[in-house]
Amino acid sequence: MARESALIRASCVEATEFMDLSRRFRVTGVPKTIVNGSTEILGALPEELFVRSVLGLPEVPTPADS
Amino acid sequence: VSLLSEQDQRVVREHLSAIQQPVTLLLFTQTFDAPETARMAREVLDELARLNDLIRVEEVNFILEQERAAKYGIENIPAIVLLAGEEDTRMRFLGAPTGYEFMSLIEAVILASTNDSRLTPESRALISAHVSSPTDIQVFVTPT
Repeated sequence: MARESALIRASCVEATEFMDLSRRFRVTGVPKTIVNGSTEILGALPEELFVRSVLGLPEVPTPADS
Repeated sequence: VSLLSEQDQRVVREHLSAIQQPVTLLLFTQTFDAPETARMAREVLDELARLNDLIRVEEVNFILEQERAAKYGIENIPAIVLLAGEEDTRMRFLGAPTGYEFMSLIEAVILASTNDSRLTPESRALISAHVSSPTDIQVFVTPT
């Protein structure tokens, strides 16, 4: 996603090495994704569903998407 | 000493043949009291660089080069920043990319070296339509 937009930064964080970050974001299972320090996405999702979750869009396409 | 078997080196080298432009892996670490994971990260990156001439590793001293750390938003070490040429790809790895993350790193290097995100047209359209402010994505993983 970072490759697709200059506004996106993507980090892969090794949870056990950065316990302070893991605690701050209450990481109890992986993968867990945190967007802008707040939105939480649990587990590995299919690509489009993941993109939708990151962007805060509903899971199913709506006319407002386009 | 190589971390990968000859067989694995062949597979990775083959995979890395997709690389199109130079990629620099900036490794933020420190000289004194560096965590063991920083040394592991360096070994992993060196191994990768040995397998493709377009991959380069540059170590950045997190303590002495605070301006560079700030420029790339690095607050912890070890941290890896992927550059395509001089350009920040905004892809980061925090911690040693061992185990499964080694594969993720390889994928990230290939993404950095091409201008193709490999996302579906639908995903690209969503990003183009909906990303209008800085978006920070942190994916927490564990090495298995």
